[in-house]
Amino acid sequence: MIAGFEETKKLLSKYKIPYGQGEIIKNKTNGFDFAKEFDYPVVLKIYSSNILHKIDIGGVILDIRDEESLSVAWEKISKLAQSKKADILIQKQEKGIEIIMGAKRDPVFGPIIMFGLGGIFAEILKDVSFRLAPVTKKEVKEMIKEIKGYKILNGYRGQKQANLLKLEEILLSLSEMIVKESQIKEIDFNPIIISDKKAVVVDAKILQ
Amino acid sequence: MKLDTIFNPKTIAVIGATDRDGSVGRGLVKNLLQGKKLRKIYLINPNRKKVFGIKTFSEIRAIDKKVDLAIIAVPAKIVLKIVKECCEKKVKAIIIISSGFAETGEQGTFLQNQIKQLLKEANISLIGPNCLGILRPSAGLNASFAPLSPNQGEIALISQSGALLDSIIDASSDKFYGFSAIISYGNEAGLTLPDFLDWAGKDKKTKVIALYFEGLKNGREFFNIAKKVSRIKPIIILRGGKTKISQKAVSSHTGALAGTSQIYSTAFKQAGLIEVQSLQELLDVSKALVWQPKCKNGIGVVTNGGGAGILAADYCYQLGVNLTKLNPNIKEKIDKAKSMHSGWSKNNPVDIVGDALSDRYKIAIDSLLLQNDIYGLMVIQTMQVMTEPIKNAKIIIETKKKYPKKPIVAVFMGGKFTNPAINLLEKNKIPNYSDPLRAAHAIKSLTNNH
Repeated sequence: MIAGFEETKKLLSKYKIPYGQGEIIKNKTNGFDFAKEFDYPVVLKIYSSNILHKIDIGGVILDIRDEESLSVAWEKISKLAQSKKADILIQKQEKGIEIIMGAKRDPVFGPIIMFGLGGIFAEILKDVSFRLAPVTKKEVKEMIKEIKGYKILNGYRGQKQANLLKLEEILLSLSEMIVKESQIKEIDFNPIIISDKKAVVVDAKILQ
Repeated sequence: MKLDTIFNPKTIAVIGATDRDGSVGRGLVKNLLQGKKLRKIYLINPNRKKVFGIKTFSEIRAIDKKVDLAIIAVPAKIVLKIVKECCEKKVKAIIIISSGFAETGEQGTFLQNQIKQLLKEANISLIGPNCLGILRPSAGLNASFAPLSPNQGEIALISQSGALLDSIIDASSDKFYGFSAIISYGNEAGLTLPDFLDWAGKDKKTKVIALYFEGLKNGREFFNIAKKVSRIKPIIILRGGKTKISQKAVSSHTGALAGTSQIYSTAFKQAGLIEVQSLQELLDVSKALVWQPKCKNGIGVVTNGGGAGILAADYCYQLGVNLTKLNPNIKEKIDKAKSMHSGWSKNNPVDIVGDALSDRYKIAIDSLLLQNDIYGLMVIQTMQVMTEPIKNAKIIIETKKKYPKKPIVAVFMGGKFTNPAINLLEKNKIPNYSDPLRAAHAIKSLTNNH
């Protein structure tokens, strides 16, 4: 079972992992209020303990820039949510490079963690690194540098260098979490958005 | 019981001792009898009065002296009965060579568990079952059915596969490296791979640990011990069963579940192990680490052949071994030497040109080692009509004495004309490789910051 939104939020905050600003909303007006408070662009997502791959079924609408688009997006996603008996989550859209992190229990070695660049880098090119948890700060640094895409994080073609310290912190917390929370089978942070200032987990899937 | 005692028992009883041609028991007894001056060996076989002319006992309980180590090589179905007798005899340790246990399926697992439980209660150490045995050349102990006894040396070789060990022992017999211990751990019903690894880490005769296995039963325990031991001495690992096809062979081989290859490699790296890709590389790297000191990353290459030098540079680059830039004064020193060819490369790799005689090798080697940030050397020799292999080998050996902290590996490439020089090098602990790629792997292991 995937942990619910509140539980996920609680777990992440327990390990001081920054979770994207967001809340479960019941109607369109809730969405408008959220956007007023935190500003556009925003994201709408379905949230369910049973749905593993929400993007595949059109359960994520990104880059909603104004009230009108939010209205349209709401109509679309609320229908899907109804048919899937899922909640709807609104989040602030974060800007930066997509990162993927994960953790699982290997049948031979026990808890392990994974790091990589999000999207095709991880999925198609398998450009990810692993470590057995718990990890040290030094191991986490190596893990980040080990991927082929490291150059992209390190300031590529005039881009600012991503805040690697924040990534290290999340990896250390993730390692601690999989070691200490024995009920957790797998964790997926996909994506984490990293910029030169901050790193934020915008999608967390915790399997228990 | 401490493993040190198992590796040097005062008394051994062999159950299933025979001199029947083509049998495991015959090989085992023959090997053990090589150490008969060092320890008492009792042979047990109720069906034969004498084996190799030595009077046998009908069972272990008929021996009136204490027995340190019992080695069992009888069919699986009577092993339990024999183990019970060994318990009554209060032997200190048992090696079960016999196969037909957990590796064969459910019934075998049941039998193995019964034996395991019995020995645990009796507090008797167990190696195996389903193993080749153990060898400790320095103690004159060959408690295995390997085809011969290996050279004494400083490599501890620990393997899940017994058959591979046989071939390595045979292949190493005419080489100059040797073994502190060879261990075939079989099904690990008693002593496990981590136990042996821990022992080898503490063993004074072991300088380098070489491992082969397909799968681990308890990965985390292995990881923790390997991490600790690798800080004291290098551990080199070759793992089989990486692909889907070979994984099928694994599950019918030892019954250990193979995890994914990437996780294994991650664990090896994180624990500070050196992972290699072939048996040849396992031995190549072991040899380098046993004979040569480790150094910082930054080496020099000397060659009398352009192509070989370029290959060496390519391989070093691919493996992350740095070739140090030559200092101007070193360049000048080589340049000014009378015998140096004006067309020498002026760069690292230092190509001293095909017609180089030994004096050019001497200048190049001496000069490179003089430079502080050249921490090690690869010396390549292609076989030209005027090349002087023996003289070149002697120069390397002599220069090496002046720089004990700088490792040298040689790549003397050739056959009939080169072999005497290769033997001379290796006799003097300069590892030689027939191909720059092998030498690059060796030097990488020496420059590794584990």
